[in-house]
Amino acid sequence: MTTPTHDHPTPPGGPDPGGSGGSTGRDMDEPPKGGSFLGYLLRKLGGALTSMILVVVLGFFAFRMLPGDPVLKIAKERPMSPAQIAELRSQYGLDKPVIVQFWDYLVGIFTGELGESYVYRKPVSDLIVDYLGPTLLLTATAAILAIGLGLWLGQLSAWRRNSLFDKMASSTSLVFWSVPTFWLGLILLMIFGGTLQWLPTGGMITPGLDPWSFAGIIDVIKHLILPVITMVAVVYAQYLMVMRASLIEEMSEDYLTTARAKGLTEDEVRKKHAVPNALLPTITVVFMHIGGLITGAVTVEAVFSWPGLGKLTFEAISGPDLPLLQGTFVVFSAIIIVMNLAADIVYRWLDPRVRRA
Amino acid sequence: MTDLSFDNVSITYRSSSNRGDVTAVSDISLNLPTGATLGIAGESGSGKSTLIMSALRLLPKSTRIDGQVRLGGKDIRDLSFGEIRAVRWAQASIVFQGALHSLNPVREVGGQIIEALEHHAKGTWTTPATRRDRMFALLDEVDLDKSKAVSYPHELSGGQKQRIMIAMALACEPDIIIADEPTTALDVIVQKQILVGLAKLVAERGISLLMISHDLAVLSAVCENLAIMRHGKLVEYGPSDQVCLAPVADYTKQLAGAFPQIGDAESRMNPRTLKPAEVRRAEPYTKTSEVVLEARNLSVSFDTRQGRERAVRDVDLALHKAEILAVVGQSGSGKTTLARSLLGLQQVDPGSQVEFAGTALPKKAKALRTFRRQVQMILQDPSGSLNPKRSVYEAVVEGLRVQKITDNEYARVVGALEAAELTPAADYLESIPQELSGGQRQRVVIAGALALDPQVLIADEPVASLDASVRGEILSLFLALKKNLGMSALIITHDLGLAWNIADTVAVMKTGEIVEYGDVDTVLANPQHAYTQELLAAVPRLGSQSLVNNG
Amino acid sequence: MGENDTTAEANASEPNPGTTSATQPPVIDGAKLVRERRLNNAKKNWSLFRSDIAAMVGAIVLIFFVLIAIFAPLIAPASMLDVTEQLDVPRYAPPSLAHPLGTDDLGRELWIRILWGARVSILVGVAATVMSMVIGTVMGLAAGHFSGFFGAVVMRIIDFFIVLPSLLLAIVLSSVLERGVFTIVVAIGLTSWASTARIVRSQTLSVESRLYIERARILGAGHRHILFRHMLPAVMPLVLANTTLTVGSAIIAESTLSFLGLGDTSKESWGTILKNSMDISAATSGYWWYVLTPGIAIVLVVLAFTMVGRALEAIINPALRSR
Repeated sequence: MTTPTHDHPTPPGGPDPGGSGGSTGRDMDEPPKGGSFLGYLLRKLGGALTSMILVVVLGFFAFRMLPGDPVLKIAKERPMSPAQIAELRSQYGLDKPVIVQFWDYLVGIFTGELGESYVYRKPVSDLIVDYLGPTLLLTATAAILAIGLGLWLGQLSAWRRNSLFDKMASSTSLVFWSVPTFWLGLILLMIFGGTLQWLPTGGMITPGLDPWSFAGIIDVIKHLILPVITMVAVVYAQYLMVMRASLIEEMSEDYLTTARAKGLTEDEVRKKHAVPNALLPTITVVFMHIGGLITGAVTVEAVFSWPGLGKLTFEAISGPDLPLLQGTFVVFSAIIIVMNLAADIVYRWLDPRVRRA
Repeated sequence: MTDLSFDNVSITYRSSSNRGDVTAVSDISLNLPTGATLGIAGESGSGKSTLIMSALRLLPKSTRIDGQVRLGGKDIRDLSFGEIRAVRWAQASIVFQGALHSLNPVREVGGQIIEALEHHAKGTWTTPATRRDRMFALLDEVDLDKSKAVSYPHELSGGQKQRIMIAMALACEPDIIIADEPTTALDVIVQKQILVGLAKLVAERGISLLMISHDLAVLSAVCENLAIMRHGKLVEYGPSDQVCLAPVADYTKQLAGAFPQIGDAESRMNPRTLKPAEVRRAEPYTKTSEVVLEARNLSVSFDTRQGRERAVRDVDLALHKAEILAVVGQSGSGKTTLARSLLGLQQVDPGSQVEFAGTALPKKAKALRTFRRQVQMILQDPSGSLNPKRSVYEAVVEGLRVQKITDNEYARVVGALEAAELTPAADYLESIPQELSGGQRQRVVIAGALALDPQVLIADEPVASLDASVRGEILSLFLALKKNLGMSALIITHDLGLAWNIADTVAVMKTGEIVEYGDVDTVLANPQHAYTQELLAAVPRLGSQSLVNNG
Repeated sequence: MGENDTTAEANASEPNPGTTSATQPPVIDGAKLVRERRLNNAKKNWSLFRSDIAAMVGAIVLIFFVLIAIFAPLIAPASMLDVTEQLDVPRYAPPSLAHPLGTDDLGRELWIRILWGARVSILVGVAATVMSMVIGTVMGLAAGHFSGFFGAVVMRIIDFFIVLPSLLLAIVLSSVLERGVFTIVVAIGLTSWASTARIVRSQTLSVESRLYIERARILGAGHRHILFRHMLPAVMPLVLANTTLTVGSAIIAESTLSFLGLGDTSKESWGTILKNSMDISAATSGYWWYVLTPGIAIVLVVLAFTMVGRALEAIINPALRSR
């Protein structure tokens, strides 16, 4: 061929609003340029930080400003003398000016002091540390299973679009999508815990067992089954739909025709070309919804008395125990924000279109 | 070796919806003997892509094929799926439109070439190491550096992606290469390089080439024989020169006429069309010396991640009353940015001057709005320029409403439509864009601009997205607007033929600069700048397999 | 749906009779053509909708529940839920001819509670959705249309609400505000708009890149013209289809909040019934009907909204139809 003198990336012609389907296609010879990884990281970090600041500010003002006076609210729930009220007020620092309270709260967050629970009479941070582990165990197990199941069924469903399998899978997921999480939990509890008595109805471990012994681990797994099924059933459906839609979109792409023309079998076309491309947008959506899965823990833990942050939140609501609720809100939000940040970074690493600048 | 033949082939897309079956190809017989080159020309919807996809049985399962598609004497319908997979790429491979989405976006291009070799491991490439070597050798054949093997498609330019597609097609030493619009969306100079390269590689190896394109000139520049398809039927078939230079069918004449020969006096200021626009004035306007729109030292810069880039550099232009000025350049040359800055849609660099009728372009939003009445712009794609939900009346009246021109609204709309030669206008008023043809849509867009009584029209590739047979109509309309109304027009294009057809003056742009500027007759007959010469040389000429023989 | 939403503008664009006389009168009656086109479109869409069995079943279920919600006071007066008047009714009676859906721990008929619960559940679902749609549409349009600092700030806010699940925020809001139906509506409406905003934003961005927007700018149009004449009509069908889908989520959210004890305990709602059943451990004590019936009511209504919403979505966006 002749020397490619003009066939190199040309400088951008500016932010032209690319014509839809015009055959000249402006700037065709200029491959798009991505930003540097550091810039991307900083942008995402900045975003996460902003979200965290909003959470912290919201956590303070929602709980102190909106209800007027939280102590009065407590007083309304149970009889108290004015002296008791005043004492409570100074105990929680509510007699100080708002600015001072906010400052104390900020300092508290950075030093791990989240106030004292009205109900438990213990520091909120201690409670959270105690209850964090079980929640992570439950949500991580559920997340892994739901993502795996959802994506796998989703790609099968898309590839066999309109088959019996697809119709079954899609309609099942629609039904699960329409079920309130806690109700599904109650039904499972009723069938397997109540009527059949196959599985324990609540808690994480039979009292007295050592969680690190073999019997203890088996016991924890037994306790885990029902809450995990509940969470997976409701969440996998969404992942299935997203994966299915994403793959169906990918299926009309030209590069699949190229792959077929090269002599690949349909299975190879799906596994090597279509699915990797469909996975990328799916991952974004899956992680965007991870927060939904994590907060699903609130009702599931309440139903199964799972000793985690969700149950703590549930108890804080019934109290009402505002410092505890504020603490669990901030911690839940922090977990979700960190998960999203991690997902953004993983995505950047997975997709070559944004990986290399 | 392998012959490819289509015997009385009809292809029907069966549809479960109530629209019924759609026949895409009807009764086509064509033959591609070993070592031959055949081009199939047709506009969108002519069924040419469907036809070639049938050669490798790549159509959806629901498609019905009647007649025989034979590859090496065997009817491809008789092959098992395993056999057809073995035939694909090893006997016949396809060069898809690489510039678009024919490469997997998340895999390295080298790996995608190797994948083809893996599936047809024969000859010298039976081990991973030899396959790798062959992949590098193929990149070398198509003039790509070895380092490109680890690139992802998005990191390559359109031309480079097309080279990858060609390398991939050559990989398994096929007997036939089918090229599907191999140069669409590429610039004319890149197009020439790709075509010359492809033709040479194919000829050296004795490979048969079946090429389809909407561009008659591209096909005739490469292929010995040409077939013209329309609405699924074969309109004309014969040797390239005969089909292009002495066409028999009216449709072929129309297609051939859409590609003016630069330097041919007959097509100068006379775009060929069956529906020429009417010139109503006894003494048509001609170019005057009165300047309406002028740019001096016009520069535009953008902040990109690589730093500040100057898209337009120190451009001086003057558009006179009743003048048609063509700004010609490749994509990325900054011509669209230039047009947008003349309209005040684009922030310009300090020191740039744009004047309309002697006064500088206003800066304030309100004053700019009034200015827009005087200078209007037609965008590239008429289908995209019209809100699909709005009727023709609503589309044309939009400018009047925005400009708060409330008197004689109906008369203005009808007048504008008739000036754009949509007559009788009343028949079109309540149509929605999808009920109109591409050419009619472009007329509606033009009418929308004319409704404001502008003095200047700026048009960005006004015919690029239209079928070739409509091209002449729209160009003739521009010419008539100038002659009837004294309209000045600045037309942005990549097509030198367009300038030859209708423009008084031409400005050639390269990387943001105007490298040559003057009367069309002077510049195109006797180009001074090397770039203009290169552009002119790259324009495919009808007939004579010009690129193969002279390239 | 489709073309129906531009009716008002089309009427405004009828040729002014005063000016018509200046030129030749129109050969054909344009207004009639437009009306016919819209009628045909409506007919076509209706036949598409009707051919979707799931959507038709969903629509019938919805009509049924809406009717019983409206006529609850006529079918079963409020006094029938008054605990003091149910002293002679057996507690925890399983479903039977006398007690079709069984009775609860206070001897109230569950079918009457479901009937009255439909009022609050559907009302909250619809009201919260309307609120969420309005916020979502405004935010989405703003984020998609305006570039620069303002757009970035709006985008940041949307991101925040996308990342943080609405349930978490709704819990916080409803636990600090006075208990009540209005609080639940606000808590759900204020926290669940982000996904709508995201859809509206991406649609706005896609319309924004169309040439007809650039053409409107060339004609001299400002933000108001582009937003109200092009963007809003383009996103409205999508928003409407999304609305039906969101009502389902809002009903689930209402039941969840009520279940967590954040609802209005003085008003019947399906979530409140489930909360009562949880309080007496009905699930593990064998009172299955107490748990089952309100849940089934929720699932039926949510599923019905989902079916109808998906069918509408498919009609608006034919590319989805094969899915």
